[in-house]
Amino acid sequence: MAALFFYIFSTFTVASALAVVFNKNTVASALALLMSLVGVASIFVLLDAFLLAALMVFVYAGAVVALFLFIVMLLDVQGGVRKPFKKITIASSGIALVLLALGLYSFWKSGAQTTAELGQIVPVGATLKNYGELLFTTYLLPVQIVGFLLLIAMLGVIVLSKKFEGLEDIK
Amino acid sequence: MNHELLKAAAESNQWLAIFPELLLGSLALLLLALEIILPKKQHTTIPAVAIIGQIGVLLYQLLHFNSVFVGHDTFAGLLHHSANGQFMRAFFLLASILVCVLGTIALAKQKMPRIEFFHIVIVVSAAMMLLAQSNNFILLFVALETVTVGFYILVSYFRTSPLSLEAGLKYLIMGALSSGLLLFGIVLLYGVAGNSTLPGSSADAMNFNALHTFLAANSHNFLAAVGIVLVLSGVAFKIGAVPFQIWIPDVYQGAPTPVTAFLAVASKAAGFSLLLILTQSVFTPYEYLTTPVLGLMAAATILFGNLAALTQHNVKRLIGLSGVSHAGYLLIGVVAAASQPLAIGAIGFYLFAYLLASFAVFGVMTHVAGADDADQELEHYADLAKTHPFLGAVLAIGLGSLAGIPPLAGFMGKLLIFIAAFKAGLHGLLLVAIVGVVISIYYYFGWIKAAFFETWRAPLLEGETDPRPVRTPVGVAAGVTLATVALATVVLGFYQGAFGDWLLSLKF
Repeated sequence: MAALFFYIFSTFTVASALAVVFNKNTVASALALLMSLVGVASIFVLLDAFLLAALMVFVYAGAVVALFLFIVMLLDVQGGVRKPFKKITIASSGIALVLLALGLYSFWKSGAQTTAELGQIVPVGATLKNYGELLFTTYLLPVQIVGFLLLIAMLGVIVLSKKFEGLEDIK
Repeated sequence: MNHELLKAAAESNQWLAIFPELLLGSLALLLLALEIILPKKQHTTIPAVAIIGQIGVLLYQLLHFNSVFVGHDTFAGLLHHSANGQFMRAFFLLASILVCVLGTIALAKQKMPRIEFFHIVIVVSAAMMLLAQSNNFILLFVALETVTVGFYILVSYFRTSPLSLEAGLKYLIMGALSSGLLLFGIVLLYGVAGNSTLPGSSADAMNFNALHTFLAANSHNFLAAVGIVLVLSGVAFKIGAVPFQIWIPDVYQGAPTPVTAFLAVASKAAGFSLLLILTQSVFTPYEYLTTPVLGLMAAATILFGNLAALTQHNVKRLIGLSGVSHAGYLLIGVVAAASQPLAIGAIGFYLFAYLLASFAVFGVMTHVAGADDADQELEHYADLAKTHPFLGAVLAIGLGSLAGIPPLAGFMGKLLIFIAAFKAGLHGLLLVAIVGVVISIYYYFGWIKAAFFETWRAPLLEGETDPRPVRTPVGVAAGVTLATVALATVVLGFYQGAFGDWLLSLKF
């Protein structure tokens, strides 16, 4: 049963991901990305990682894609005419295709591994409580570093985008 | 969840072990606070606070070099403190102090907000210091992202210049791609090592010790091998090794000169300390895989860097591509370190000599640069030795050391790496490296020639201006810094003494 759901959700995810790439309308692309992320979230549910699934929907589907849509609408991009491909682009795509085929072949050759059944794993950070406890004990240092990361990211946005009226004043 | 267990985990959070990083973080916050508190007229003192504060932290780090934590894990195995880690911490502090000195010179020529620059430089160097001691993929990734995000901002800091913004955008896209590769590799390793039916599996496979145990028990796992190659690729992006060097010329040219120096020296050193940690302690069971991959990369990097640098006219692009070749020499050291522990010290010495020489050159570049920071051509250096003999001499020493001319420090660095490579039996790589050094002399000396030998220039026509930026006199603080760096390059070339002995005995 779980396998069936896995195939349904993964087909859904990959199909929406392809739709992101091939859609000419940027708004439709962004919405397809949303569908793809929801598909990934449902795979997380199958893995009993409920917190991750919820975060995926809140953060990526909710916030990030909404931001994408905002920007798309702000820029008001019109679907332009596609330029014909250059010769060098075709040549390099050909080489990339050969490399991809080689990579897939090597996977296929060594892919049939005798890996045993996946063992039962205790999901340590599966519930929000456990997750929070770990964040504030074992992983307190990375949390603090992330704090500094967000601080410099915020400063960076201000420095790079703010209009400095009297630049002579900045001394 | 067991509360006793969590308590024990929390108790291993030994904040004293990362006291220098804590000091740096507080210093960075202090700078922001000072900008709010101090009246506008006194804002010029804030860069001085940043530099003096960091010198204080460096002194603390040197005084507590043999701290009680060396050789131990702290933060529940997130960090491992080694002698090499202590050296890298001091190294990053020194680099960040020099970047701040160059930053004051470069920012004086621009109308830009000042304080944020120093704040970000300090936070980035603190993150690099943690990176050099990381013992866990979570900490590694978080610290690496802090470094990378800081660099996105620093590279595009001169936002009035389109080249700087372009460089920032290119670095952002390439950096995101490399982070993606790294993360994918980490996830593969974590997933494989977490499979409880395989021998040596661990529920905490992010930890390097646990991962090493797993890899040693499964030395021919295909998925683990893919993960290792992806992780190495992600790190290779940061050091600019071929085939991940594509971003280097544009980013180095567009970034403000002090940031270029920071990228060239500290970011590269961070990549190498990471690579050493990974190849020396985690991926050792897969040496049969990492040695040929890194060896091929080293050869390609040396040849590409030197050949591409030959045709450059912009000095920032030239120094960037020559930096690619230096990454290649260092990669030889990493390959040799698999069998020769001597190579670890050789890499440390090389990095230190590279720091001194690079900052000598970048210091001169910051002085010679005009208002348009990206536009620094070789011809701008014409007659430099005549108008500024001091800058000319520093430039010659720096470039000579980068080229590896005896008796400068750069020569000793190369010699040590080559000796380690010879002992490890890497004769093919050694040959490539020597060919690379010979090629590099051409472009380094082309630069020296531009600065020292008079060339005929067409007389300026009516209404034409001299393309060379106006040269300003050298300030006292900058002069002392440049003189120290150049002098240290010469002294370290003649006499390595206890410092050299100590470096060569470095271990993990």
